[in-house]
Amino acid sequence: MRQNPIRSLATASILFLLLPLVVGATSFLLQTSAPPATRIPSNIAWTSETLARASGGDAFHGMLLARRCDHCHGAEGFSPAAATPNLAGIDRPSIWKQLEDFRTQKRISPVMQPIASSLSERDVADVAAYYSMLPNFPDPQDNRSFPQSAPQPAHVALASRLVSTGDGERGIPPCQACHGPVAYRTGAPALSTQNADYIVRQLQNFADNTRSNDINMPMRTIASLLTEEEKHALAEYYGSGLGMLPAAATAPR
Amino acid sequence: MILTAVLCCIPATRFYEIDLPLFRFLRGQNHVDPLSLHLSGEFVESNLGTAREADGSITVRMIAQQYLFVPHCILVPAGVPIRLRVTSADAVHSLSFSDTNYAVKVVPSNVSETRLQFPHPGEYKMPCREFCGAGHYAMRSRLVVVSRDQFPNLQPDERGNCAAR
Repeated sequence: MRQNPIRSLATASILFLLLPLVVGATSFLLQTSAPPATRIPSNIAWTSETLARASGGDAFHGMLLARRCDHCHGAEGFSPAAATPNLAGIDRPSIWKQLEDFRTQKRISPVMQPIASSLSERDVADVAAYYSMLPNFPDPQDNRSFPQSAPQPAHVALASRLVSTGDGERGIPPCQACHGPVAYRTGAPALSTQNADYIVRQLQNFADNTRSNDINMPMRTIASLLTEEEKHALAEYYGSGLGMLPAAATAPR
Repeated sequence: MILTAVLCCIPATRFYEIDLPLFRFLRGQNHVDPLSLHLSGEFVESNLGTAREADGSITVRMIAQQYLFVPHCILVPAGVPIRLRVTSADAVHSLSFSDTNYAVKVVPSNVSETRLQFPHPGEYKMPCREFCGAGHYAMRSRLVVVSRDQFPNLQPDERGNCAAR
């Protein structure tokens, strides 16, 4: 007896659709070990929608809002105190992510948390837009602590090697592959005009888990691999403005 | 018949954008969103590392990203079957093992699963073997194989690794 071709086709397609269902269900049942309580480092995922929100701010409105940041971060985005970060010229997604993380308490700071909470989601993008547009060249009229004094030559050699080539033996990637100027990773700020005290404190906080808002743990892993001397050398390197030059040019021969 | 006709009109790639339980099953467990690994699912940071299954076998979960493997050091027991599940958060990477010609291709949005077994205690370097960007040559992690009695007795909700932190 010949089967109805339409019916056999329908049966085949239903079976074909059900097969992965069965496979999926069995593989789901086989996963036995109970996962530990989920810890989320940051609520941000760099989807195209998130990037559009992070970089769609209005810099003029941001300029008005940023006047309340002047006291610590400086009128031109360069801080008077070396322990406070410089914000001038840092890209929009980086500033936006940190403010969002302060707001959602993924990054803990008793100073920044109430300030970030007082901003709306729109305001955060506006402030980020404003600071990203500030120039990062020197201004003798401005009260800023950048650049700090040049580090000792041994520290320059140590840091310029880590910045330009990293340490393959220990699996430490070069800083400039994500923080520029060679390449930038989304959410990784430029470090060339950052303050030394701020950088060293962040590296220490990443290493001892006090700061843990890096997505998929790159900075916590790297900071825990660096020695204390290397953290200081890197901070002094960037804090003295050497990061604005190509890393190979600053290495002593 | 109508269902088949309708399904034939939808390009296959459209299925990956629809989030329904049926399509989740069709995609299977080896499909992940590379941009939100840290938010939910198997590759959240608290679930990375070595896990002990109920039957005593070992599952290792890892993320490859520019330019690090996380966790940075993997700890496994010798002589026990190991299921290695790796995914990428950004580019195509390749996880290779020193002194062997073995490598696992790691592609974003897909979980690469491998079954391995190490007969003797020892240490392997695991460099990335697929050019992935400016820091590729420094992308390297370690695999430490210890004897079964030295391996920590992991609880079901515990994850082990030998990273510095």
